[in-house]
Order: sequence, then structure tokens, then C-alpha cells
Amino acid sequence: MGRSLATRWEQPAVFALAAAVFAAVALLPMLSLGGELLRGDALSHAARALSAPRTWKLFAASLGFAGAVTAIALVIGVPLGFVLGRSDLPGRRLALWLHAFPVFLPPFLLALGWFHLLGRGGLLGSEVTARALFSPAGAVLILALGLTPIVTALVAIALQAVDPSLEEAALLAGGPWRTATRILVPLVRPAVALGALVVFALAFSEMGVPSFLRVGLYPGMVFSRLGGVDYAPGEAFALALPLFGVALLLLAFERAAAGRRSFAVLGARSREVPALRLGRWRVAATLLAWSGAVIPLAPLAALALRATRGGGFSRIGPSLGSSVGNSLTASISAAGAVLILAIVIGHAAARGRRPALALDALAVLAFLTPATVLGVGLIATWNRPATQAIYGSGAIVAVAFAARYGAIGVRAAAVSFAQGSVHLEEAAAVCGAGFVRRLARILVPMHARGLAAAFLLALVFCLRDLETAVLLYPAGEEPLTVRIFTFEANGSEAVVAALSCVQVAVTAAALLAGSVLLFRRRS
Amino acid sequence: MSFRAPIAVLLAGLAFAGCRKPGREVVVYLSIDQPFTEPILREYEQRSGVKVRAVFDTEETKSTGVLNRIVAEAGSPQADLFWSGDPVRPSVLVKKGLVLPYASPSAADVPAEYRAADGSWSGGAARARLLLVNTKRVRQDQLPRSVRDLADPRWKGQTAIANPLYGTTTMHVAALAEAWGDDGLKRFLTQLKSNGVRIASSNGEVKRLVASGEVAFGLADTDDAAEASKEGAPVLAVYPDQGGMGTLVMPTAVVLVKGPHPEEAKKLADYLLSVPAEERLVELASHMPLRPEVKAPPGVRRAGEFTVMKVDYGKVADAMQRLQPWLREWAGL
Amino acid sequence: MSTAIVLEDVTVAHLGRAVLRDISLQVGAGELLTILGTSGSGKTTLLRAVAGLVRLQQGKVRIGEALASEGERLLLAPEQRDVAVVFQDLALWPHLTVQGNLAFGLSARGVPREERRERIATVLKRVGLDGKESRHPGELSGGERQRVAIARALVLQPAAILLDEPLASLDFLLRRELLQLFRELLGEQGMTALHVTHDPRDARALGGRVALLEEGRLEHVGTLESLAGRGDLPYARELAGT
Repeated sequence: MGRSLATRWEQPAVFALAAAVFAAVALLPMLSLGGELLRGDALSHAARALSAPRTWKLFAASLGFAGAVTAIALVIGVPLGFVLGRSDLPGRRLALWLHAFPVFLPPFLLALGWFHLLGRGGLLGSEVTARALFSPAGAVLILALGLTPIVTALVAIALQAVDPSLEEAALLAGGPWRTATRILVPLVRPAVALGALVVFALAFSEMGVPSFLRVGLYPGMVFSRLGGVDYAPGEAFALALPLFGVALLLLAFERAAAGRRSFAVLGARSREVPALRLGRWRVAATLLAWSGAVIPLAPLAALALRATRGGGFSRIGPSLGSSVGNSLTASISAAGAVLILAIVIGHAAARGRRPALALDALAVLAFLTPATVLGVGLIATWNRPATQAIYGSGAIVAVAFAARYGAIGVRAAAVSFAQGSVHLEEAAAVCGAGFVRRLARILVPMHARGLAAAFLLALVFCLRDLETAVLLYPAGEEPLTVRIFTFEANGSEAVVAALSCVQVAVTAAALLAGSVLLFRRRS
Repeated sequence: MSFRAPIAVLLAGLAFAGCRKPGREVVVYLSIDQPFTEPILREYEQRSGVKVRAVFDTEETKSTGVLNRIVAEAGSPQADLFWSGDPVRPSVLVKKGLVLPYASPSAADVPAEYRAADGSWSGGAARARLLLVNTKRVRQDQLPRSVRDLADPRWKGQTAIANPLYGTTTMHVAALAEAWGDDGLKRFLTQLKSNGVRIASSNGEVKRLVASGEVAFGLADTDDAAEASKEGAPVLAVYPDQGGMGTLVMPTAVVLVKGPHPEEAKKLADYLLSVPAEERLVELASHMPLRPEVKAPPGVRRAGEFTVMKVDYGKVADAMQRLQPWLREWAGL
Repeated sequence: MSTAIVLEDVTVAHLGRAVLRDISLQVGAGELLTILGTSGSGKTTLLRAVAGLVRLQQGKVRIGEALASEGERLLLAPEQRDVAVVFQDLALWPHLTVQGNLAFGLSARGVPREERRERIATVLKRVGLDGKESRHPGELSGGERQRVAIARALVLQPAAILLDEPLASLDFLLRRELLQLFRELLGEQGMTALHVTHDPRDARALGGRVALLEEGRLEHVGTLESLAGRGDLPYARELAGT
């Protein structure tokens, strides 16, 4: 009998390799910062910082801020998810895409756009709008509008995954309104919960928008220990500990809420079901849907207008440099690395393996750690003579992206692997295929779309990154977002607006190319 | 195999990214704004054939981002030269033993008060700290004259300064502490706060706030003022305290740090401190020339034409360090 | 008669509850044994224990001469056991053609390309699917998919074949036809087979010994007739009534 090369060690070995790589990328930076805490009197400084009432006041303010952002995102996102995901509204797919787009842009860019729109000198600006913009409420609204698409999209996708027969049975018995509220809402609750958690987490760690709009929050405080003259990375790490606490609580809450369905929130529908009829809600729903699609694009229009009026596009050449190429190179290699790690780790997570769930938790922590803190840890880890091939080159940006956005890839891959029968993989195993062969020949091709989506998602998150890359990009190789940010200091407003438009265009092109590949019909 | 091709491409990509073409190069970290300095670096590249790789500061991390990056990278230094927007921050690097003293022959004719005797820094074209006024909001006869006017109740809620934790404002408040004593400065900043001063993220942001009329006036640098005028904003620059302690002048500073390309760094320093480079920076960034033979751009005064605040840069550096915890608290962070 | 599959005192637990208790069973080489039982009696778990897809709590599983599982230790991974499984949902890989589904296991075992093609052609012809090599599972009828699933198992010429209610979802005509085919195929190849079903009619159609599982315990092993005589077992009484 021909025995294959497959051994029972193949799966643990591959997993261990992926786990070791990801731990080196995401865990070591945190450990090295923890080590900073033990240097000199950093620990006592940290203890003092953590026991100051000011610290906890800002912490509470940040909790309130993130809570408000989440509440607004839910109030807008859930109904919008229904209208855009399941109703018979004409053009709902386009509306969903337009609505979702801003989530793939750096939030500071949206804030800049709103400034050109509503600031005192803005297109629609007045003293009143400017005052509203530069206030906690303004910051909450702008960030909420930027993050709502996460809830909308998760609800819309989850709705499309609801077992059609459940929905058909409800429609026959109760009509569309009752079906939506009594059957579908409870069924998509895990997706709503996941959306709320992601929005809360992102809002809680966001620094760009609040600091642009002069709202003092906790991440700004952590940053002040890294950006100020008395640089104290150990203390910054200590101040980041309460953020870890929140992240762990969120994670525990999510695991408890979603339980074994953790990764099976999203799925593919087995057959088409007629869309929910809007009936007398049509006018209201149409209004909601198109406001949801158009309003978040307003700041982008303002940026484009500012760039055009000031002749920004004609002067953009020297300011652009090679930054688009730098962005794409770092993001594509990071997304590729994330994909490979995510295939192995996401697969194990989808099968509920404990070590994989621990890695998932690590990935989520790295995602929520203030980028500047993670960045300093990455410098401490990788800036050694032996690792100059990485630190001294664009590879360090890819490593940083992989650390920060690994969670996105792992989660997306796990969701994909959680779908479909486990038997398909078991059938391959009993056929004599070892783990690598099963992955390469069965699992990866079968989940090609889901994995491509994971790659695309990781890619656009890397493209939109500013805060991780800014700390450690190699000299002369800054990505576009960093370029926009450095030019914001005394660059011409029109040129900065034009650079922002390039960022928008690159992101849109990546998404467009990705979705054409993803959604093209199978031959 | 469906798997192998992408992995191979990826590895090739990483390998490619990892191997920079060998050749002469020099790494410079800057806290002077990119729009002004990048052309000068590119010009040097063209005339010398040496590749200049640069890290610029951002709006948000103004002036301290790259400084702290040099500190963070001390274990395996990357930067060869720090081109700083002020002569005070480099003292942090001097104290940590990261600086390579170098008395550039190019800087021999720079006035002695604008360079360190030990060669730890050499000054170039400078900036002054100004009150940038929106002429639509402030009448000619109401123009502020002193930085103390920021605390004048008559302008309550209508003034702005940049966050003193970052940027040139850090040095400015430290200089004020040297002039007024720590307590005098703290009193002033506390008054500012109760007067509702807007704390902007940077001087550029102060410029935006003044130019758009969000505030009546604010504290900024000469280059911010020039930029606002260039954009056609209704602004006027006031050199404060001309009847008193004088206006603070901050030369840019070229600092050699212990990096992998010390020889190339010296050559670049010689160039950046040369007369042509000073001329370029003066022209591009509307800075004030230090050398008499460099012409001042329109609207910019030279250091001899107004009362300059007397400062000891070393003492200002000490004050800057000392004030940090209090300033953080003041800024609410 | 040499034994192909041996279970010794096998206990399997899931979420702290024993799903199989102290099962001891021997399947001879070339024998077809049908495991009967109601839903939830542990039939499928028994198959999965043989295939190495679940870990035992205690006991041993032998495949041929080799010790495959001992207690919680999996001495042979599923891919090393040389058994084939026909799953209830068939588990045909949707992205591969019929040819690809059959070739997968052969290439995993290092069978050379030429021989692979021959073996696949022979099996497909035998199950009546010649000419459909390049179809994807989605393009086949229910009966055809069943044939692909059995062909995929047979083409490997495994030491044993495990059938997990593969016909459950078919109408009775198709079912009868396929049972006939299975019986012939297994007989021709002298294949050892462990077949799980809730329906005694399937057992009758395939012939061979039966074993009855109830609540994780093996209550009877013998002919279908001998089972019908067990008046102490509720399942057997039902069986006698039909």
C-alpha cells in the first residue's frame, strides 16, 4: 500500500510555526515594553500615573465617548443594515457600497474633510457649525459616521445568511414587518453584538479624530508619554494596561455572547429569497438608505473641491514622491503574510482549538493597543544589528501591519472556515491527505472567496493605517498616509487635500479590483 | 500548486524590500517641515550623488516624534543627522550621549550665539515666535503687542496656542519660564486657560484657526505666518514684546548623531550649513537669515531689525525638561 | 478468519457525557457489518472512532495489525489509517470535478499519474459514471453524487470502508438500486465494510451480520434474524413487528 509522506505531526508543526511567527510579530513588542517598565524607576512613575485621578477621569471620558459612538452606530447601522441588506429598495447594493466606503479611509482624513466642509472657513461653515465640529459631540458624530458601516455591513451580511426556510415560514405567517422584528432581528443578534464590539473597540482606541477636534481622551494621554520631550515608553505601556483590560473584557463578553457560534456569525445563503417588501415604509427607508450612503461621502467631496479650487492636483507631483508605491508594497506584503498566518490560525480557531483562540485574543489585543505603544515595542524588538534586514527596510512596516491587522485576517478566515461541513475536511483526511495537502488542495480552494475577502480586508486596513507606520517607516520610504500627515504641517491645504484624494482613489481602486475578482461569476 | 506561487512572490518581495541597492547614502531625521526641506535634500542628492533618506515629523508629533525615534533606536542607530527646528531639543540627545560633536567649517561665519561652542549643534536660518492676527476680527488699533495679551480677558475664548507638549511652543514656554521664573510661567498659562485659549495640535493648526477666523489671533512661527499670507488669508504678523523682553528667535539646528554613515553625515552637515542652503531655506520656508550676506524674503525681518529675546539655550533646555509633567497636567493629558 | 477492525472496551465521551460505553466488536476481513440503532444511539460516533476523527476516553481500536487508538492517544492519524468513509452528507468537494474528487486521495498516497487514471476510469465505469469525469458535484443528480461518494472510497482500495447512512436522503427506488450496487461492489472487491443505518431494511438488503447500539451500548451482535428474536430489546420488538 502506498503510504503518503503525511505524518500526524504535520498539523501541530505547521500550527506551531504560524503561532511562533505571529507571537514574534505581535507578542514580543508587548513583552519588550513590559520590560521597559522594570527599568530604573519607571515602575514607580507608572504607579503614580495610574493612581492619578486625572488618569481615570480621562479613562471614564473615553468609555463615554466610545459608548456614545457605539450607540449612534447601532441606531443608524441596524435599520440601515435591514434596508440595504434585505429590502426591495432599488439600488441598495450601490448604496451599501457607498455607505461602507469611508470605513476604509483613515479617520483623520474624514475629520479633515468635515473641517473643510463645516469649519468656519468651510464650504457650509459658520461659527455655529465650527463650534459644533470642535466639540465632543462633533467628534462622536464624525467617528460614528465613519464606523457605522461596520454594523450595517455585518447586519446586512448576517441577514443574507439566515436560513431561507426560517424566513419563508415567518413571512407566510406574519408578513414582512413582523418577520423583520420578531424573527430576523433576534437571529442576527450575534452579528449586531460583534459590530457593536468592533465599533466600541475602534472608537476607544482612536486618537486621530479626537485630537484633531481638540477632545482630550485617554489614548491622547498615552501618546503624550511617547510624543513629549520626556519620552517614557515604560510609562506609556503602563497607561495602556487599562486599555488591555477593556479589550479583554470585550473579548470575554464576545466569547460568552456568541459562544460556539463565535466565527459562524456570517455565512453564505444556500438559495435566493425574495427581498422584504418595504410597503408603506418605502419613502422613509429610501430616505434613510440614501442619506446613509451620501452623507458620509460629503467630507470626501469637500476634500476634492478644496484640492481642485487650490490647484492642488497640478502641484501634487513632488509631494507624492514614491509614497503610493510604498503604501502598496508594504500593504500587499503585509496582507499576504497575514493571509498565510490567518489560514493556519483561523482554521484552528474555527475548529475551536484552544491555542488558536489564545492567538486570536493576542491578535485582538494587538489590534486595540494604541498604535504608538505597539510601534515603540516593535522598534525595541526589531531594531537590533541582527535584524537590520527587516528593520532597515520596508519589511518592518509590513511586520508592523501584520502585528496590528492580523486580527482582521484571522477573524475573516475563521468565519470562512467555520462555514460548510467539517466532513469535507475529514473526507480528505481519511483519504490519506496530510494537513498541508488538505489545506492546499481542499480547504484553501474551497474557501477561496472567503480567504480572498480576508486578504482584501487586511489590505485596505493596512492602506488606511497611519499611526503604526508613522513611528517606524524606514527613512525615505514613507507610505501615503504618513505623507499626508507630514505635509499637513505647513504644506499647502490644497496639496494636502489632493494627496487625500489620491488616498481615496487608491483605496477605491483596491476595493474595486478586489470585488470584481470576488464577485465575478464562477465559470 | 495553488499555494506555492503566492508564497514565492511574497518571499521574493520581502527579499527585494530587504536588500537596498548598495551605494552612498545618508539618513537624516528632520523636525523642520517637509514641504520646505525636501527640495533642499533632493538638490543635495543631485549635486553629490549621495542618496538622502529622510524621516519627517508629522503635524501631530511635531518636533518630538523623530527626536524620540532617535532615542528609541539608540540600540542600533539609524539616523546620521538630525536637522532640528530648534536648538533646544537636541540637548536631550546630547544628555543621552547620542550626539557626535562636529564644528562644521561651513558654520564658522554663523554668529556665535547661534551655535554651540562644543560643536554639538550649529544654527541655520531661524524662525521667530509671532502673534498671528486675523485682520477681519481685530481692528488695527486693537492689535496685540505682547504674548501676555493672549491672557487678556478682552480676547476671552478668541485666542489659540499650540499644545506646549509638542512643537516650537515647548521651547517657547521654556524660554518664558527662564524669563519669568517657573511660577511666573505657570501663572500665565493658568490665566490663559481660564481665558479660554484654544489649544491647537500644532502651529499649523493655529494658523488654520486664525486664517479661517475661528480665533482672533494666536501664537505661531514666522513660516506659519508666511504660509497664511501666501494662501491669501487676511492675516498680519506681530513681533511681540518689542518694548520689553523681545521676540523669541529659534535657529534651526544641524546635529550629527552617532549613525552608520558618519562621513557622509559631515558632508551633508557642511552643505546644510552653507550659505546657499541657508538661502534656500530662507526662500522656501520664509525663515530669517542669520548671516548678513543672505537676503531676507519680503515680509520677513532679520534678527538685527527687532529686539530679540535674550536666551541661554542650555538653560532653556533644562527648563523644558523640568516643566514637562506640569505641562502635561495643564494640557489635561 | 482474520480481523480487519477490532474495538476493545471503547468508551467515547462528548461534553462530559459518555456517547459510547465499553464497546467491544470485531469485524472480519472482507466482512460487511451493519450497525443499527435509533438517532442518538452513538452509531456515527462509533464510525468516527474507527476513522480516528474522535478521540477515545478509553479502550483500543485496531485496524488490521496496527494499533490505531489507545485511550486518549491517537496512534494513527485519520490519514494514516487506510480506511475510507462515505459520509451522510457525502462531503464531495464542490470545487473539484468528479475526476478531481477521486484523484485527490490517490495522489495523497503517491499513486503515479498513469495508474491513477486507470483506477479512476475502472471505478467510474463500474458505478456507471463514465463520461461524467469533468462534472462538478453541483452538476450531478442525487443518485449520481452517491455513486461518486462510493467511488471515491472504493478507488483507494482501502483496508476498510465506513458507510455513515449514505442513502438516508434518497427515495426508496433509488435507494434499492444503490443498495444493490453497494452489495455487488463490496462483494466483488472482498472489501471490509462497517455500515451504519437506522433502517433495518438497509441491513436486510445488504446482508451480513448486524450489531445493535442503544444509548451507547452494544446490545446485540449477530444475524438480523437473531436480533428479531431478542424480545427484551424495544428496537428488536419493533423490528419483529414490521
